[in-house]
Amino acid sequence: MSSSPRPPRIGTWLMESVLPPTDRGAAVLGDLHEEFVSRASRGLHRARIWYVREALGVAVRYVGQSQNYQRGRSRLDVDGRGTWEGFMDAVVMNVRFAVRRLAKSPMFTMVAITSLGLGIGANTAMFSLVNAVIIRDQPFEDPAALMDIYEAGEGFSHGTLSYPDYVDIKEGSTDVFEDAGGMQLVLLQMDAENGVEMVPAEAVTGNYFSILGIHAALGRLFTAADDVARGAHPVVVLGHGYWTRRFGSDPLIVGSELRIAGRPYTVIGVAPKDFAGTVRGVEPVAFVPITMYDELQGMGGNTLEARGNQSFFAKARLRPGATAAQAEAVADRTSASLREAYPTYWQQTKAFVLVPTAEVIMNPMVDRVLVPAASMIMVVVGLVLLIACANLASFLLARAADRRKEIAVRLAIGAQRRTLVGQLLTESILLSMLGGLAGVALAVQSLRALVAADLPLPLPVTLDLSLDPVVLGFSLFVSVAAGVLFGLAPALQSANADVASTLRDESAGGGRARGAALRNLLVVGQVAVSVVLLVGAGLFLRSLEASRDIDPGFGSAPTAILKITIPADRYSESEGLVYLTSLTERIGLLSGVEAVGIIDNLHLEQLNTQNARVMVDGIDPPAGSDFHRVDFATADEGFFAAAGIPVIAGRGFDPSDRPDTERVVLVNEEFTRRFLPGASAVGRSIVVNDEAVQVIGVTADHKVRQLGEAPRPFVYLNRNDSYWASVTLLARTTDDADRLALDMMVAARALDPEIMVVQTTTMRRHLAVVLLGRELGAMVVGGFALLALLLASIGLYGVVSFAVARRAKEVGIRLSLGADPRSVVRMLTGAGMKLVALGGAIGLVVAAAVARLLSSLLYGIPPLDPVTFVGVPVVLGLVALAASWIPAHRATRIDPVSALRAE
Amino acid sequence: MGKGSHLGDLEELILLTVLRLGEDAHGGRVRDELKELAGRSVSVSTVYVTLMRLEEKGYARSWKGEPTSERGGKAKRHYEVSPEGAEVLEAVRRVRDRIWQGIEAISTEAAGA
Repeated sequence: MSSSPRPPRIGTWLMESVLPPTDRGAAVLGDLHEEFVSRASRGLHRARIWYVREALGVAVRYVGQSQNYQRGRSRLDVDGRGTWEGFMDAVVMNVRFAVRRLAKSPMFTMVAITSLGLGIGANTAMFSLVNAVIIRDQPFEDPAALMDIYEAGEGFSHGTLSYPDYVDIKEGSTDVFEDAGGMQLVLLQMDAENGVEMVPAEAVTGNYFSILGIHAALGRLFTAADDVARGAHPVVVLGHGYWTRRFGSDPLIVGSELRIAGRPYTVIGVAPKDFAGTVRGVEPVAFVPITMYDELQGMGGNTLEARGNQSFFAKARLRPGATAAQAEAVADRTSASLREAYPTYWQQTKAFVLVPTAEVIMNPMVDRVLVPAASMIMVVVGLVLLIACANLASFLLARAADRRKEIAVRLAIGAQRRTLVGQLLTESILLSMLGGLAGVALAVQSLRALVAADLPLPLPVTLDLSLDPVVLGFSLFVSVAAGVLFGLAPALQSANADVASTLRDESAGGGRARGAALRNLLVVGQVAVSVVLLVGAGLFLRSLEASRDIDPGFGSAPTAILKITIPADRYSESEGLVYLTSLTERIGLLSGVEAVGIIDNLHLEQLNTQNARVMVDGIDPPAGSDFHRVDFATADEGFFAAAGIPVIAGRGFDPSDRPDTERVVLVNEEFTRRFLPGASAVGRSIVVNDEAVQVIGVTADHKVRQLGEAPRPFVYLNRNDSYWASVTLLARTTDDADRLALDMMVAARALDPEIMVVQTTTMRRHLAVVLLGRELGAMVVGGFALLALLLASIGLYGVVSFAVARRAKEVGIRLSLGADPRSVVRMLTGAGMKLVALGGAIGLVVAAAVARLLSSLLYGIPPLDPVTFVGVPVVLGLVALAASWIPAHRATRIDPVSALRAE
Repeated sequence: MGKGSHLGDLEELILLTVLRLGEDAHGGRVRDELKELAGRSVSVSTVYVTLMRLEEKGYARSWKGEPTSERGGKAKRHYEVSPEGAEVLEAVRRVRDRIWQGIEAISTEAAGA
């Protein structure tokens, strides 16, 4: 008996859920069970199939049957108290009812869905961004035990390490850390279909993946054996995204070879899909052993031994039981010993800083800006959504007023209030869900546009902005919450109508005062919020404008820029110089080129600043230091003409300034003001990086690190004195700079096809990077403020239209008694504008407070910028006037006779 | 007969089967018998829904049997034809017979189907 086969559970479950729990239901189950057993003896598999098919038949038939029985009841009792089926029936009915109602007034439905769609779309799009940048968790194993290691020093609180520093702290901390590892960002010159492409990658230590707890999606990841000797490990792990995009997820990729920087690399594996490197936003297309870094970078030198080169991102995993406090003590100990051993690199202020990885988004220094910016944007889009929801509530209130008679009749003939509220709420939730759908579609489109937009970013940023469950859940939640919150008040209000008075006289409108007051309040709120957003946008736009007016002091003429690296393994220093000389000559011959110059690190380069140790007789260095730190760059004789920086005293570099002659430098005006006051600076001698040099010329001041900065002292070293394999070539032109940049790249490759082209760009784009933050801020806030204004205008328009419709009889009487149509328009418009004035006043007060909070983000204007604070009310007033005048004007075209008869 | 007395084709067959099976009439047997005698293969749910309808119309009656282990511990339900059911079957038969009386013979092809 116990050996007799059991029928498939799914079939039994299916039938039990539809059959009545009576003898009759049991009889059906019993019959089927009996037959199943007898069939099973002939073939279990076929019997199981038969059973499930029969069960499906039973389910379909009995559901139909029981609905037939219930239909009579459910018509009477829509809210079907108590049972889940009853509830679902009621929901289905309410939804049908709501769809029919919404279809009856397509204009209203369209406006409501559009306005909610805009609000929810803005929120979904921005939340996707915030989610991708900040919220989405990194797929690390036991992330609580991971710590980021940074270095703090003069001017930076959380900087990256040098590789030797990393080795020292790793070896000095084995009692608290299980292991430590990390990576350096590197641009790979990868062979692509047409030529080569420079793609971002991570050069990682062998234990990198095992520390993070990342496992291969395909093949294997690096181990310690892949990270032993410099230049000895031509192996690569592909990023999942790159593997998908470039190789169509080829499952046989492992073992094949890729040419990177002119050398074949063996693909050993593919990283998992959810791991896009450890610096958010910079998705590495591949991972290579850090021992290959110098060869890939092509700049010569030995990064693994250069204590001055700080670009290593380090992470460590705590031993089980070890605490963060213990780790910090170890880090302090290591810092102290390094300060003693390497005083040149480890000033007294320098120290290791540990931060739990889970608390870091990109970098603690970046996070300090990122998090407030993200919160601000979410507040802004939240306000936009609030305005859109106020519109929804306002529309629903207006409709509720229209439906008062219908609802009163239904109440009079015995409809239950909760049934009515359920129906009205269903309608508003349906509206908001449709709005949410439109919003998500809108968000997907705008994010696609954002990803495709050619932003002048300093690094290629890749964000996974695909909709994930978190984002969709957010949108769904926002939609439903909007529907419930802003549908509840109108629904309750209409269901509480005073039946008797409503039915007696519809036109007098018994409960209208409250509905109208609520709607008026909503308009006041919308206008106030719009004013705040508009003022914010105005301030950002004005400060962007002020930043745009700043003269960076260079690059005002159209200029093409080419960044290249001359492979150090194939070029000695003198060969590199020869290459550069022939390249500048070639570029000089291109049509339209007026001047060609070379610099190692162009001013306003966002990712890289460099400073020199400067000593000047008679000017004491800052306390605790033996020298002044001064920004510097290495330039050639053509640079000043190409960049448009005038040499105002002495002379520029000259080909005759050779390494074998006396070393010479140029300084800028601010340098002479600070360090060489009094007599002419030209001819004076100073010490730069422990070497005596002669000042041969003075240039005009220019911006160095930031557009908004006060003048900074600057030193130009002569490129002939110090070779550097990675350079930026500038070519000033009378022609199209974008095209010239490409021509320059062609010229560089014509001389050597394997030269590493890091970037081609133009001066305009280079300077745009500096303004990017301000531009994006102004664009985003400005865009959303306009959206808010539009939505508020729609709301105002609706309120005035509704007032006009309600007062049609009154207007008809006035007009028929000979009132001047213009005075009627004034009267109706005036009512709307009163609300705007009130909202505007409240908005300005709030905006003034907000402006003070924003003052640190503003440049060149006071927080209470008069242009903004006068301009915004004027713009708002005009838009509001139009929004209320249009419906008011329509009222004067009311035919008095028909208006009166309509009652 | 009055309104609601109409008997569908399957209803008629199942009611006849119940009558024929006598004490042995329950869902599974009805189904087997129907397949054997009429060559009609119907699902369990169809048999039960039809029996339910026949009960509603008052042509059949049912009672609970004893649960057995080969039925998964579920009780059988036994059916019998009610007097009204017997009456309506009789009426249907009379109508059929009356119509048949006017027909001498039919071709074998038609009968074989």
